[in-house]
Amino acid sequence: MTASRSTTATKRLSELLDPKFMARLDGLDVLSRKILQGKLQGERRSKRRGQSVEFADHRPYVVGDDLRFVDWNIYGRLDQLFLKLFLEEQDLTIHILADVSASMGIGDPSKDRFARKLAAALGYVSLVNNNRLTVSLFADGLRRQMPNMRGRNYLSHMAELLLTTECDGFSDFEKACRDAAGSRVGSGITIVISDFLFKQGYESALRRLIGAKYDLYVIQVLSPQEVSPELAGDLKLLDIEDADAAEITATSALIKYYKRNLAAFCSELKDFCTRRGAVYVRATSADSVELLVLNYLRRIHLLR
Amino acid sequence: MQWLTPLVGVYAALVAIPLLLLLYFLKLKRQEMIVSSTLLWKRAVQDLQVNAPFQRLRRNLLLLLQLLALLAMLVALAGPVLALSRGPGQRYVILIDRSASMNATDVKPSRLAAAREQAEVFIESMRGGSLFSLSDASDHAMVIAFDEHAKVMCNFTSDRRQLVAALEAIEPGDGPSRLGEAVTVARAFAQSPGVEGNIRSAERPAQLVLFSDGRIEDLDTIVVAADELVFHQVGVSGDNVAITAMNARRSYERPEEIEVFVSVVNYGPEPVTRDVQLAIDGDVKTVRSVTIPGRQAEPENGLPQPGRVAVNFSLSHEGQGVLEVRQVGDDALAGDDVAWSILDPPKRLAVLLVTAGNPVLESALRGCPIARLDPCSPAGFDAMDPETFAAQSDYDLIVLDNHVPAHLPRSQYLVFGAAPSGIDVNTPGAIENQVLVDWRSQHPVLQYVNLTNLFAARAQQLELPRDAEVLAEFADAPAIALLRREKGAFLLVGFDVLQSNWPFEPGFILFCYNALDFLGVQIAGGRERELAVGESIVLDDLPVDTSVTVTRPDASTVHLKAGPGGSVRFPGTYRVGTYAVEAPGRALQFYAVNLEDAKESRIEPQEEISFSSVTIAAEEQAVQRANVPLWPALVLLTLILACLEWLAYNLRVRI
Repeated sequence: MTASRSTTATKRLSELLDPKFMARLDGLDVLSRKILQGKLQGERRSKRRGQSVEFADHRPYVVGDDLRFVDWNIYGRLDQLFLKLFLEEQDLTIHILADVSASMGIGDPSKDRFARKLAAALGYVSLVNNNRLTVSLFADGLRRQMPNMRGRNYLSHMAELLLTTECDGFSDFEKACRDAAGSRVGSGITIVISDFLFKQGYESALRRLIGAKYDLYVIQVLSPQEVSPELAGDLKLLDIEDADAAEITATSALIKYYKRNLAAFCSELKDFCTRRGAVYVRATSADSVELLVLNYLRRIHLLR
Repeated sequence: MQWLTPLVGVYAALVAIPLLLLLYFLKLKRQEMIVSSTLLWKRAVQDLQVNAPFQRLRRNLLLLLQLLALLAMLVALAGPVLALSRGPGQRYVILIDRSASMNATDVKPSRLAAAREQAEVFIESMRGGSLFSLSDASDHAMVIAFDEHAKVMCNFTSDRRQLVAALEAIEPGDGPSRLGEAVTVARAFAQSPGVEGNIRSAERPAQLVLFSDGRIEDLDTIVVAADELVFHQVGVSGDNVAITAMNARRSYERPEEIEVFVSVVNYGPEPVTRDVQLAIDGDVKTVRSVTIPGRQAEPENGLPQPGRVAVNFSLSHEGQGVLEVRQVGDDALAGDDVAWSILDPPKRLAVLLVTAGNPVLESALRGCPIARLDPCSPAGFDAMDPETFAAQSDYDLIVLDNHVPAHLPRSQYLVFGAAPSGIDVNTPGAIENQVLVDWRSQHPVLQYVNLTNLFAARAQQLELPRDAEVLAEFADAPAIALLRREKGAFLLVGFDVLQSNWPFEPGFILFCYNALDFLGVQIAGGRERELAVGESIVLDDLPVDTSVTVTRPDASTVHLKAGPGGSVRFPGTYRVGTYAVEAPGRALQFYAVNLEDAKESRIEPQEEISFSSVTIAAEEQAVQRANVPLWPALVLLTLILACLEWLAYNLRVRI
């Protein structure tokens, strides 16, 4: 039964990820820049010293400490009680926040498809390395969430989640981040995948996600049409989310200003992230997810 | 600038400009397009507006261009014209001189073309009736071309195209210029209502507008008011070398010898050396270089007189031909550089003397240089069949000595005594003992003839028709008369020479000589085939409906039919040159039309023309374009603005 579930999971997942790509992802693992404390003993070193084979340090004994960790050899030599501290290998919590608001459905190729593939790839890497994975899809708040998945068995759940949620509704990034931050426990990595074209702004929302315990990766996905629009004539641009209209006449000057604005917007986001220790990654939906994951994300040490 | 229809423009503007603004403020129908977020676009639009103040202007450029185009159209509707002449519609008579001197090329391409051009400008400057015009202030004009005669090219009309077409239809001529007829015709037409029947304007006197070089012969016989005529002078230079006279004649004694007298005149101030060439039938026989002195003031009255040189050629030519004398050299007027003369083969007269016996007359006639003299009895003459006589006999002259013939063949007649019947001459009775009281000694027939001592014992009392030319008169009746009838010329002597003392006078021999010479010229025809410009070519004695072909100097041909009288008349000798006339059964005949007009050859343009009462100076300025409607330019401007607008719109959208 497990085998069959696993097969269907792979099958479902193959709608998002190429099997060859999955095979290459098998060799990767998620890497945290901060070595973080997990709940379960995992495959990773934690700052929390504990029961492990890897020695870290000594410290003086205080009343109440577990006598099992007293280093008797030192006591014999120095006649003082010291505790042996070990680095405890722990698991990593990975939180993927993917935007499924209506705006993600725009673009050719669609930003949404790109975002889901990326989320699936990162989730796959997390799950196969026995990390704790939470996948949240947000629009005007957290639409769907699948928390604390662990192990290959959850691949199908993740795939189902990613495949069955429609792009819909306007976005309330603030609320989504508030909810996500609230549901987050422990420490780990948070990966936000969105186009970040939020009218209310992203600053206060992202601030909620940035904290001492979590690495934050911000992946901005834009469509090629957004990066270099090819418009002509007198146009009435309608916002898909709030039906806001902008009447423009597509002139070279306007396009120039648009591009300049977009560049400014992106670099603002990047500065915001960099200043707060988050990592900013920009991608367009025309890029190859495989290339992004296998090369770029490894280069910035999100994956190893 | 003036306006023809300003109100129309204002009304149209009141409607059109608010309409355009209204249309402009109506929302542009924009194409809708869904984007993921308008966030950046709104910022871009804001940036565009903030950072580029020029964009607002650009945005309004379209409106500006549209407004300008509309404005141009509205102004065009208002009918602006340049330099409007005010007042009610005027009437003009445009008189174009097309005489020989107007063919001068001192203004290119020719004076006539220049005059035509000026007249065209004048016509274009006339006020035309506007489509929306409230007042009928259109000008009317008629076109008259004149040389010796006036020709109405176009009656009064305000249709400029018709007037210009009439101008184009004016052909150059080589005639002398006489304005009198043109002025008479113009005044006659000015009384008539014209093509469009504008009675009201007929009350105003028409303005005469003359385009000429001022070389007009009959100015001193014309009376015009000072403000009636405006003179536009054409031409700049008076330099011209002309052949003003040419005469070729065979020697009476030696007919194969030809004497040619040519008078070459230089109207320019400088002496010129020119070659004068003489050709027969196109073969150049001789060329002579002559130097003609320049124009000089006459010592007596200070009037400038052109330099003049007489050139004589003598050559020997037996047959007939066309003799051409040409002044080889470039000058302004080409028509007077050449003169033609028609040479007939030398001919002596064959004379038929019908007499009952008159040795005096016979011997006198035999003494004249004639080919032959055949005496014939009156009975023998009457017995001849007139048809066969006309067809077969080759007599040039018939002398009737006191005989009234039964029939009169066509010929030239010298009649002594009784006048023949059928020529409108009555002889009611006889008169006796007459002496001559008066005679015309200048007439060629009576040249050198002294009739002082002539006494006629008995004479016919001649009653002559009114067209007869009386050469000598008795106290009671004409003695000698010349009468031209269809059958020929009749030189009538009203008495029998044997009943007078005339045979004893030397004048009798001279009279016979003169009479034969004179009547011989009537038939010889060489003279009568040298015509002045405009003189008709007349052919007689043709069978009815004979087709005659006239070939003009420019090689165009005219076909004519002989009328019931058996004669053909071709009046179209308006250009100089040789005209060839071809009739069936006759040899090809040439007619020479020569300018030989010193007045027309004097082409120096006149600064002022003196009529009998006033002197009118030429207008100082050339005809200016006035009343030029500006609407075509404005419509063009509208078009350009529309194109610019299209361009601006496209630049805005595409780039």
